[in-house]
Amino acid sequence: MAYQATRNRRIFVLFLLPVVAVLFLTTIYPMLYAGWLSFRNYDLAKPFIPRIFVGWANYAEILSSGTFLHALVTTLKLMAMTLSIQLVLGVGIALLVTQRLPGMGVARTLLLIPMMISPVIVGLVWLFLYFPELGYLNYFLSLVGLSGVGWITTTTWALWAIAIADIWQWTPFIMMGTAAALHSLSPEPYEAAMIDGNSRWDVFWRVTLPQLKPVLISLMFLRAIDAFKIYDIIFVLTKGGPGDSTEVLSMFIYRESFTFWRMGMGAAASFVSLAIITVLVTFFFKSLNRDRSALE
Amino acid sequence: MNKPSTRQAILVYLLLAVVLIVFLTPIYLVASSSVKPAPIMFQKPPAFFFTPTWEHYHVLFTERPFLKFIGNSLIVALGSTAISLVFGSLAAYAISRIRHRRMNDVAFWILSLRMFPPITVVVPYYIIFKTAGLLDTPLALIIVYSTANIPLVVWLMKGFFDEVPSALEEAAMVDGYGIIETFWRVTLPLAAPGLAVSAVFCFIFSWNEFLFALMLTGSRAQTATVAVMSFWSSDAVQWGRIMAGSFIILIPGVVFVLTCQRWLVRGLTMGSVK
Repeated sequence: MAYQATRNRRIFVLFLLPVVAVLFLTTIYPMLYAGWLSFRNYDLAKPFIPRIFVGWANYAEILSSGTFLHALVTTLKLMAMTLSIQLVLGVGIALLVTQRLPGMGVARTLLLIPMMISPVIVGLVWLFLYFPELGYLNYFLSLVGLSGVGWITTTTWALWAIAIADIWQWTPFIMMGTAAALHSLSPEPYEAAMIDGNSRWDVFWRVTLPQLKPVLISLMFLRAIDAFKIYDIIFVLTKGGPGDSTEVLSMFIYRESFTFWRMGMGAAASFVSLAIITVLVTFFFKSLNRDRSALE
Repeated sequence: MNKPSTRQAILVYLLLAVVLIVFLTPIYLVASSSVKPAPIMFQKPPAFFFTPTWEHYHVLFTERPFLKFIGNSLIVALGSTAISLVFGSLAAYAISRIRHRRMNDVAFWILSLRMFPPITVVVPYYIIFKTAGLLDTPLALIIVYSTANIPLVVWLMKGFFDEVPSALEEAAMVDGYGIIETFWRVTLPLAAPGLAVSAVFCFIFSWNEFLFALMLTGSRAQTATVAVMSFWSSDAVQWGRIMAGSFIILIPGVVFVLTCQRWLVRGLTMGSVK
């Protein structure tokens, strides 16, 4: 039996090794390469300048330049805008679709559609809606008595234009996670709270929300991690403009690397954002593990 | 939770109607604009009843080689789905069965690879594929998408393998099955729904992807998402064909939601919601 077990383990390791090897080649190697680049003066626009080792110069330059910090702040701003609204709307809609009424399942399914649409298509649809002069959004707003704005043409509204498209696509995600969690809540605390004569609102704040908290925290972490990935929607809608009003980190990296061809700088900026995301991912896993040990 | 009263029910339905209108209007607009004659494309109020035109689709498939771009998307999506399923489910099985305290760390490491922003590795990929002569080939995208999909498959399939009762596997072993036979004939068939769900997730992710497709392909291996974006030019806004292309691209995702919505939670929340 003992022989059998070690033999089995050896086969399991054989199952696992190819994946570890492949992922090492396709993720760790490119990351190491990016790390190597980030210490180099790798400028494709100036092919005759030797690609020498420059130490921390790229990092020093981006960290001291206003544009990188601006991109970081814009990313965080966009994250704050989208996460807070997605949280409130998502939980609110989840409370609606979990009511015991006919038709709720259908509504819930229909609301999941935006999540599975290609972000570039989401960008194009919202471009259609925001389009200066022609787009339908300002028309729809005028129907409810609001005056239209220059969604993607003004620095005031461009970041909101991005945020709205992201909120439209990902509020369903919070709704879906919250609705699933609501279904798994145990009914006893509710019955007790109702017997105690609390209002629905009180029950929500004192009973439902505390029980949802761990799930909501995990969902928010996933959204926060995704907030650093946002690229396609901005690429379609504003390309970082007008001015630099929607230039988030991913746009900054893209421009450094493929507009100015300063690969070393782009790699350095990549590494700074990787560091931030590593922290977020670590906290996400910690929160997952905590839930799990709480359950056991 | 109690059943809501009639008054509450009316309120719920009213609010939900508003929510549905807001969330579904953009999708309706893609579908309707793709068959709207150009002159009334931006007519206000929007025309609900009009004679649909197939002109935009016609242009898409005759003047532009959109069929070729869809073919490229399919090759890349199916290729990376197949690779991700094979490698991913083998690794998931090992992670699910090896009893070792560091195994959880391996699982988390694999999952974390999916969470990093694609833009941070675009430059290395670009340089590596350029050196290898793989730029503008479907193979480059298949490699990149498999890298993104394998972690998801591992994570999803680990959950499904964990649920297969070990008594069944032990019984198979007693019957003289080796470990590979047990996996192939007993465990994998029981986890078949997991394979199906993983396959669909991989397919949709690859089908929808834009950034790598934009950076790593040119005219030969261009995928549908990049092609649709290329219709958008600064001098002539060709909204009809953009919408027709967009509608074709969003079909697989919509079908997925309508047929397997109960698996979405598992695939998208990375195990934070059971």
